[in-house]
Amino acid sequence: MALLELNDVHTYYGAIHALRGVSISVEDGEIVTLIGSNGAGKSTTLRTISGLLRPRQGTVSLGDKRLDGLRPHQIVQLGVCQSPEGRRVFARMTVHENLEMGAFSRKEKTKIASDFERVYGLFPRLKERTAQRAGTLSGGEQQMLAIARALMAAPRVLLLDEPSMGLAPILVEQIFEIIKTINQQGTTVLLVEQNALMALGIANRGYILQTGEIVLTDDAHKLAANPEVKRAYLGG
Amino acid sequence: MTAIVESERRPGGFAGWIGHIGDVLGAIPGAYRDALRTHPLRTTLLSALVILGVFYPLLNRSVLQGFSRNVFPLPIPDDTVVTFMLIFSIMAVGLNIVAGFAGLLDLGYVAFYAIGAYTAAFLASPHFGVVSIVLLANVPQGFPGIHIPFWFIVPLAMIIAGTFGALLGAPTLRLRGDYLAIVTLGFGEIVPVVFRNLADVTIKFNFLFINFSAEHLNLTGGPLGINPIDPPYLPGLGITFNASAGFAPVYLAMILLALGVLFARNLERSRIGRAWMAIREDELAAEMMGVHTVRTKLLAFALGASFAGIAGSLQASYLGATTSDFFQFSTSILVLIMVILGGIGNIWGVIVGAVALQYVNLTLLPYLGQQIQSIAPSFPNPAQFNFLFFGLILVVMMRFRPEGFIPNRQRAAQLSAHVLAAAAAERGEVVGLDNTGLDIDENIELAPPGQSEVGEDARAAETSDEARDL
Repeated sequence: MALLELNDVHTYYGAIHALRGVSISVEDGEIVTLIGSNGAGKSTTLRTISGLLRPRQGTVSLGDKRLDGLRPHQIVQLGVCQSPEGRRVFARMTVHENLEMGAFSRKEKTKIASDFERVYGLFPRLKERTAQRAGTLSGGEQQMLAIARALMAAPRVLLLDEPSMGLAPILVEQIFEIIKTINQQGTTVLLVEQNALMALGIANRGYILQTGEIVLTDDAHKLAANPEVKRAYLGG
Repeated sequence: MTAIVESERRPGGFAGWIGHIGDVLGAIPGAYRDALRTHPLRTTLLSALVILGVFYPLLNRSVLQGFSRNVFPLPIPDDTVVTFMLIFSIMAVGLNIVAGFAGLLDLGYVAFYAIGAYTAAFLASPHFGVVSIVLLANVPQGFPGIHIPFWFIVPLAMIIAGTFGALLGAPTLRLRGDYLAIVTLGFGEIVPVVFRNLADVTIKFNFLFINFSAEHLNLTGGPLGINPIDPPYLPGLGITFNASAGFAPVYLAMILLALGVLFARNLERSRIGRAWMAIREDELAAEMMGVHTVRTKLLAFALGASFAGIAGSLQASYLGATTSDFFQFSTSILVLIMVILGGIGNIWGVIVGAVALQYVNLTLLPYLGQQIQSIAPSFPNPAQFNFLFFGLILVVMMRFRPEGFIPNRQRAAQLSAHVLAAAAAERGEVVGLDNTGLDIDENIELAPPGQSEVGEDARAAETSDEARDL
């Protein structure tokens, strides 16, 4: 059984039908990427999983637990945490305080302490800036902080919303390397990206989202080789 | 550190509690020394203020009063004014939880002040003369009305005001920003009007076999209010804390304020305090990190309201009377100005704000009025234009020190970051301090090409920040 599963999910913004029956499954230990252009519904999908939006129809489940209908804080407690689009770090709190907020819903102090070590190991630059205010970090550092903060929730599934947005290519490469490492350390990743080439490079499988519908799904390397995908998303 | 380890080995139950309190008291000198080392200026200043505060009433009597008449050009506040400074400090500390910690704009805070005052009025006065309930109070048995000691009224007023805070918050806290302000504004207007108008109530109730009828009930005393209210009374020492009791009520208010500060300080540093801070920074991100945002905001609202409940019950008991005229919109605004002026988000700051504004309001302006009257009797009295002066003070503050007298750490950071960004822009550098602005919601990121440079700048900001951190 899949770890995270969306089954025929329909989500609306008022009268606007944003997701039209999205079905996605993410197996334990995978990196799955969700690719699509602006307005295709990628962030809407993640927000629906996180409980910020409620699907009008269809189910979201983590293992054997239903997530749809739960409130966001309950979903975080069950082990799904999101690094949001546009980073949204707590600008006037320090790096350390931001990471503490990531662990907000957890109670085991010793495990949190060891997760601090883990996260600072993954992002040494954050360790250097631990007492610095997050708003004064560079864009790349803020993105690292946003991912690290979500990791501090010790999620079973990590949702990443456009981690490459607005970053220089060399930084994007660094971030994707780290995502791969995080996955190898045992965290399942659902990665939403516009940068299809990079995303398919590290993912096991991919889904292509178009105007609220999944139009194609396959292994990542097959999608990368698919001529239609190439034309539409890979600039070839 | 050792104190904490020791406390883990202590027995549980009551003995454990005593031990724990002992540990905390034992840790105070060390903590004070640390504070003195890390923030010498702030710590000495605060210590001086606290010592001055504690000895103020005695100092006032023996030295200052004679002093001000002969030497000092400014008037010295008397005991009543000092009591009101402290009552408003309690309110400012409470509103600071709502507006400063959680970032919610409450324009109807006076409603909870009124609820606190009327709680005291109902429970410690001859108003409900049809019954006679005297519970441990300094009133002969069989005396008409309900009479409960002040010491029980304070927690009750906290609970009742807090409950109304939660009741108001529950449907409205899903609203954001401006809408919340409008709803609280409405509530602040409604509550005094309700107290003013419930003087002649007729209830007729006829349902199945139940017949209930009560005519012309005077619930709140109408425009005349409720009067007299029993003053706080300490049985052991036989002290009555009313307006003619000299400096005793000053100390009572001081103790209540100290307890309030202690409580607010602990809240700020607790898990819930962190959640408030995160909500104030970015509500959506806080929600994504697992903060139950509605419940957390509701708690801020209710706890803030309970502080106004304390202040209200103290005010009513101290004055011995309450009417709805005390609780006008201008009082909400006055407390809000105290919070902004003193340094929103900083407990010490808002107390300084409250004391300073009450001084201007209750001592300085009336004094100036007297002086002017004696020279030019036809000239308008400045005490009638107090809000004009508050407005002027506010404008001057916003121009020269927008973060308040004693700023909150985050707010100081934000403002100095802006100054730095402006300076960098003047030098023609690329600036990436995008997220430090007020509108954190607009998280549109422009990837700065000169990232490392900006990072250096930011660290410079950091150090200069630490240097000016008073």
